[in-house]
Amino acid sequence: MHMSAVRPASVPRAFLAAAVALFAIVGSSQAQAEEVIVIGHAEITEAYDPAHAFNPTSGMVNRVAYDTLVTFPDADASSIEPLLAASWSISDDGLVYTFTLRDDVAFVSGNPLRAEDVVFSFNRLKNVRAQPSFLADPIDSLEALDERTVAITLVGPRPSFLAELANTAFSVTDAEVVRANGGTDADDAAEADTAMSYLNQNSAGTGAYRLSSWSPQDRTELVRNHDYWGEQPFFDRVIIVNIPEAATQRVALVSGNIDLATDLTPDQVVALEGNDDIGIFLGPGRWTHFLLMNRDADIGGPMADPLVARAVRYALDYQGYRDLWAGSVTPGSNMWIGLAGAFGQDRAMGRDVERARELLAEAGYADGFEVTLQYPDMTFAGVSLSTNAQKIQADLADVGITVRLLPGEVQVALEGYRSGQQGFAYWFWGPDKLDPVDFLEFLPGGKVAGERARWMPEMADDETMAMIERAYQETDDDARLELFTLLQEYAQEHSAFAPFNVPAVQTAFRADIEGYVWHPQWGLDLALLSRSN
Amino acid sequence: MPLYKYVLRRVLFAVPLVLGITVVAFLIANAVPADPINANLPQSALGNERLVAAFREKWGLDQPLHVQYLTYLGNLVQGDMGVSIRTNNPVFDDLRQFLPATVELATVAIFVGLLLGVTFGIVSAVWRNSVVDYAVRVLALIGVSFPVFLLALIGLTVLHAQLGWVAGPGRLGFLLSRPPHVTGLFTVDALLAGQWATFRNAASHLVLPSLVLGLYVSGIIARITRSSLLEVLYTDYIRTARAKGQREHAVVLRHGLSNALIPVVTLLGVLYGNLLAGAVLTEAIFAWPGIGRYAYRAATSQDFPAIMGVSMLIAFIYVVANFIVDVLYFFLDPRIRYV
Repeated sequence: MHMSAVRPASVPRAFLAAAVALFAIVGSSQAQAEEVIVIGHAEITEAYDPAHAFNPTSGMVNRVAYDTLVTFPDADASSIEPLLAASWSISDDGLVYTFTLRDDVAFVSGNPLRAEDVVFSFNRLKNVRAQPSFLADPIDSLEALDERTVAITLVGPRPSFLAELANTAFSVTDAEVVRANGGTDADDAAEADTAMSYLNQNSAGTGAYRLSSWSPQDRTELVRNHDYWGEQPFFDRVIIVNIPEAATQRVALVSGNIDLATDLTPDQVVALEGNDDIGIFLGPGRWTHFLLMNRDADIGGPMADPLVARAVRYALDYQGYRDLWAGSVTPGSNMWIGLAGAFGQDRAMGRDVERARELLAEAGYADGFEVTLQYPDMTFAGVSLSTNAQKIQADLADVGITVRLLPGEVQVALEGYRSGQQGFAYWFWGPDKLDPVDFLEFLPGGKVAGERARWMPEMADDETMAMIERAYQETDDDARLELFTLLQEYAQEHSAFAPFNVPAVQTAFRADIEGYVWHPQWGLDLALLSRSN
Repeated sequence: MPLYKYVLRRVLFAVPLVLGITVVAFLIANAVPADPINANLPQSALGNERLVAAFREKWGLDQPLHVQYLTYLGNLVQGDMGVSIRTNNPVFDDLRQFLPATVELATVAIFVGLLLGVTFGIVSAVWRNSVVDYAVRVLALIGVSFPVFLLALIGLTVLHAQLGWVAGPGRLGFLLSRPPHVTGLFTVDALLAGQWATFRNAASHLVLPSLVLGLYVSGIIARITRSSLLEVLYTDYIRTARAKGQREHAVVLRHGLSNALIPVVTLLGVLYGNLLAGAVLTEAIFAWPGIGRYAYRAATSQDFPAIMGVSMLIAFIYVVANFIVDVLYFFLDPRIRYV
């Protein structure tokens, strides 16, 4: 009786109250709408565990999920900057690096960062014996001197060590969390460590974001680390969807399904110019395309002659390659163009057909010769190697060298290249470490020069070899600059290689996305992105 | 012959077949003149003998070929397909992760293809040499001969990006979260979880890729249906049916089609296998994380356990699909029962 008397009035009132509550919820959720960005990306990683992952996809994700001791500036590799390490010192013999850690950093678990975490992470990297483990080979021992000080002793002087520490493989992980999930940094970590499956789904770092899920070949999700010690990123959530085909990335970007496409080809980007909904980034990338001329006469034939190699460098139409690939530049040597002291386009070689013919005549090939150019049959980062090979063929025809093209299946061609069996070949190289010493690979005593081009130390004069020796040891910045300038000049004269183009990287994004910067180490720094209103 | 005997015979036939496939797949996978070391270790790690030796030992690459094969076979019999060199996961787990996406797409596509193909085939046969027949035959020819990846790209550009009629790449809207995993088929899992919006979204993402693959399948089916139905329509029992005064649609559909479909059923087994194994390009273009992509990546990195795993899986699916077809024959074609 009582109930029925109440009901007529209370039902509309309850309804009203519910409606108000609902609007309140909707209203508030709109006011604090989650900021989400969707990245279209051709995923190539097999892991996100920093000790196992070694590729662009994991570099991009771990860049924001973890921090390293030191890092590079946002857009280049011209200097070393502090990150988790507030400061550091190097012993006079160049063997002991002592880092002092920041005191305001915590992991996503809430655990504070300690020197012990650094020791654990680097030992684990070394001992799991996975793809990036070689990076830890220069380390002899690690010691936590106190809670915030860690000393790293190297097996030998290594001027590039700080640059190498900026690699995401040296991400500092939360030792307690990793151990709790099966991780170990002991000598038998290769067999005993089982933390990878955890770290592939969850990050245990100090970064601006936290890895929240990964479905391989499908999607990766990152969420904001609210307790991040540095500046908070703009986006609450980052969704990286795997779109292997560049053409599909383009469609998804144009139709607004994704905010940014990481893998568009140069021609696609050109086609997007003029589209008001799309913003474009175009700048020189990290790959130097070059010709290899084997110094072993049994393999290289005429190409083994240093005069011929020099003639080839004069014969190439460098401007022509720049016209072919929008945004590309001509390098002045095999030292990656973005490193301190590298010869850029202003110090690059230019085409001089007459000079090339003179050099060929001097070498005894006034009537030219025939040679086979081997290269992998592929399109890499939007650049068709076949297109370039055809241009090389045409360029060299102008100086009397008849080139037969021999494209090969990538893995098969790679085998011939790595075993030094190719006489005349076209390949490309990205620096393993973003430090000038990477260039020493292309000089006598270096791996690429020796193993692939058979350009041996005994073929160079003593003075040059002494310079190369010093370049491997020197840590003083000014002295290094002078050394590497001389070595690049030497290479322009005597090298067994002809670097001819550094193609552009290109990225397209929705016009409201801001803050895109390309970096040679991690590609894209997700924490720098924002959306304008 | 009773059914059980028939089935048993088919199963026994399959055993040497599967064994033969392991040998062939193993030899081909190993005949590639490239070293998995090069494909799976970074350039800069190749000079490190400790890492290279550890890699060889870990993956048994230091053993002679026949030892590697026998080890593989022994493990396989116990249900162990090995661990992928590339992903470090058991191959079985990888396959279980990637197969559902492909199965979902291939299954819908084969139904689309069957529906379109049989319809086209009937229309073509009944109105033989008419304008309709020619139109359908041209369409079927396009379906068969037009590159699937191109059709896929055109579909995405025109139907999705420009007209907005169908959903874009991926299995699900990029902002949606996945339905709770039960079968791995998003449509089924969404239904099981009662997530209608997710179901609708997943279904809408199936439309374009299944249409593209279905069109290819329908071209083949239409041609077979047409020729087979034409043959049947001139047999004595069809004339008898007509003479009895049956309506034409009953003659064609009930008497004609049920017999004309026998070669189509044969074809279905092969086509379904093709869809599962050969959708690499389609999967790449539609950003469909399926077994085709997995196989491609396994092959390009000489991931032997994964290559073997995919080969075995595809072979197994072919064997099962054709086994089902054989069993269907038992019911469709009475002659088998009396052999």
